[in-house]
Amino acid sequence: MKRPALLVLPAALFLLAFFVIPLIDNGMRSFEDGDGGLTLSRYVQLMTDRFYLRVIGETVLLSAGVTVISALIGYPVAYFLVRKAGKWSGFVIFLLIAPLMTSIIMRTFGWQVLFARKGLVNNLLIDQLGLITRPLRVLNTPELVIAALVHVLVPFMVLSISSVLQGVDRRLEESAQMLGAGPFRTFWEVTFPLTLDGIGTGAILVFMIANGSFVTLILLGGGLQTLPLLIYQQFNTTRDFGMASAMSTILLVIAVFCLWLQLRLVRRRGA
Amino acid sequence: MTNLTRRTFLGAGTALGTSFVTGGLITGGLSRTAYAQSAEITVTAFGGVWEKAVRDCFVAPFEAKTHDKANVSLGDPAQWLAQVEANPARPPLDVLIMTPDLALSAAKAGLVDDFTVDKLPNLAKIPKELTDSVMGKGTIFDYGVGGITYNKKTVSNPPKSFAEFVDRVSSGEFVASVPSISYAVTPIMLIWAMAKALGGGVDNVDPFFKAMAKMKDNLVFWGSPNDFFNQLSSGEADLGVYFDGRTWNHYDSGATWIDFLNPEEGGALNGVAVQKPKNANPAAWAYLNEILDAGNQAKFAEILNYGVTNTDVVYSDKLKPRVTPWQKTSFPPYEQIAKVRNEWVDRWNREIGR
Repeated sequence: MKRPALLVLPAALFLLAFFVIPLIDNGMRSFEDGDGGLTLSRYVQLMTDRFYLRVIGETVLLSAGVTVISALIGYPVAYFLVRKAGKWSGFVIFLLIAPLMTSIIMRTFGWQVLFARKGLVNNLLIDQLGLITRPLRVLNTPELVIAALVHVLVPFMVLSISSVLQGVDRRLEESAQMLGAGPFRTFWEVTFPLTLDGIGTGAILVFMIANGSFVTLILLGGGLQTLPLLIYQQFNTTRDFGMASAMSTILLVIAVFCLWLQLRLVRRRGA
Repeated sequence: MTNLTRRTFLGAGTALGTSFVTGGLITGGLSRTAYAQSAEITVTAFGGVWEKAVRDCFVAPFEAKTHDKANVSLGDPAQWLAQVEANPARPPLDVLIMTPDLALSAAKAGLVDDFTVDKLPNLAKIPKELTDSVMGKGTIFDYGVGGITYNKKTVSNPPKSFAEFVDRVSSGEFVASVPSISYAVTPIMLIWAMAKALGGGVDNVDPFFKAMAKMKDNLVFWGSPNDFFNQLSSGEADLGVYFDGRTWNHYDSGATWIDFLNPEEGGALNGVAVQKPKNANPAAWAYLNEILDAGNQAKFAEILNYGVTNTDVVYSDKLKPRVTPWQKTSFPPYEQIAKVRNEWVDRWNREIGR
């Protein structure tokens, strides 16, 4: 009994030193008023000022939007990967994770090259095809930020769904079809409910990563203001570390709430 | 009281964890002691060509003359200042490269030593104003100018002033790229500089925000200097507010379509200050003296295309037309700006939003 506990000790100490203690320090800093006392003023400001409420809302909405789009794109891909790809499944997985193998800076620069005012897409549409006369403004729009995030995060959704889809008992689907259900009804009433757990896991992963995403937002802009951007600003421009701590605590609360949702989903399935 | 408790708690907890996980408490303590005995110092530099210039122009002569060692830590001023603030009794860095506003924060917090000619003979060759601007607790040794950089292929007749820049961008003649508020010196190089050029100043930045509102449909923002170059080279922007030295670096690297001009009102001086944290290794003084040396600074300027401050420096023929004398720039009132900087950032967030 003692040996397993010793095995996890290094990891536990590592987490204690580099996660738990800094996290507690960060939380305590958010309550310091600078004169040795305690204050709730930062949280009051963050939770009552319409500007900050809008930023929090924008952060959650962006993450939720990216999650929904990733699920809509990811489910068919996961279905194809598990049910149709056959010997090509390894190649499909490679294609899926390929975006993760390049630096995020290079990926972001790629979007800039493609969609700049005088980039490849606009040159094609104006000079080669003659479909438009003025360049499309795609860069620095929220839509492109969402596209860039989805591009990176879809693999997390696909892999989560496909691992669950792989475990679905095909005999249940065959039984439904023998009882008269068509392919769509079989999918909707049998297959899809059985893969909800995979969607849930993928959603949590995608949501949490999108929630803390920073580089894509700072490089592609888009006029979006999210908590990670403001946290960076507090550190880099205003040096208001207390406010940065309060913002990061709120970001953490959002992430913890998502984890709680995931646990609820798993427990419900277990029940 | 609370602060002490928190720091004590953090320090003890971190030490406990690191000592178990890496054995680092004892090793770290020993290595720091060893630095002091062998006069090994840690100096700072930005990445890229900056790092190379620091190694070639300052570290090499320092090591050759003193036989001490200088390790180069890469990062940015906000990070370095935070490192010193976290451990002022035993600062992990011996020489700081700072933006003037952060240098002032460090000076006011009593984190850095006074600069005197006794400790730094080459300080006598640095204009007094540049040392006074950081309360004598450091000095500005290198500077750039925040002016108008443009693509010669798309902008044949560039705006000569900030006022003309605003008018022509507002009219849709150009798409301009300006630094975003996440870039540390935006309050100085853009907000203050443009407000002043348009009739305002530290106490009145309304002209700047009105100008931004007028230009908003034809503006893009850069988050880091490389972004700006990408935007200009990809055609996303035609011109923008940028630094002279970086512009010439791009030009020398083959982007001969790029050009720079100092606007008629005078672009903001973006100084780079150097400081020594209190309790840092005294060997840092010798290194700092090398930074202020005329020969070393001339070499540094040649690599980076930025102006330097030792009055004995003679620029090469290539550099002479590129470097704007610091007296011809708009010298920012750093201390006053520091007092209102957070208000400006908040207003930017609410009115401009990116």
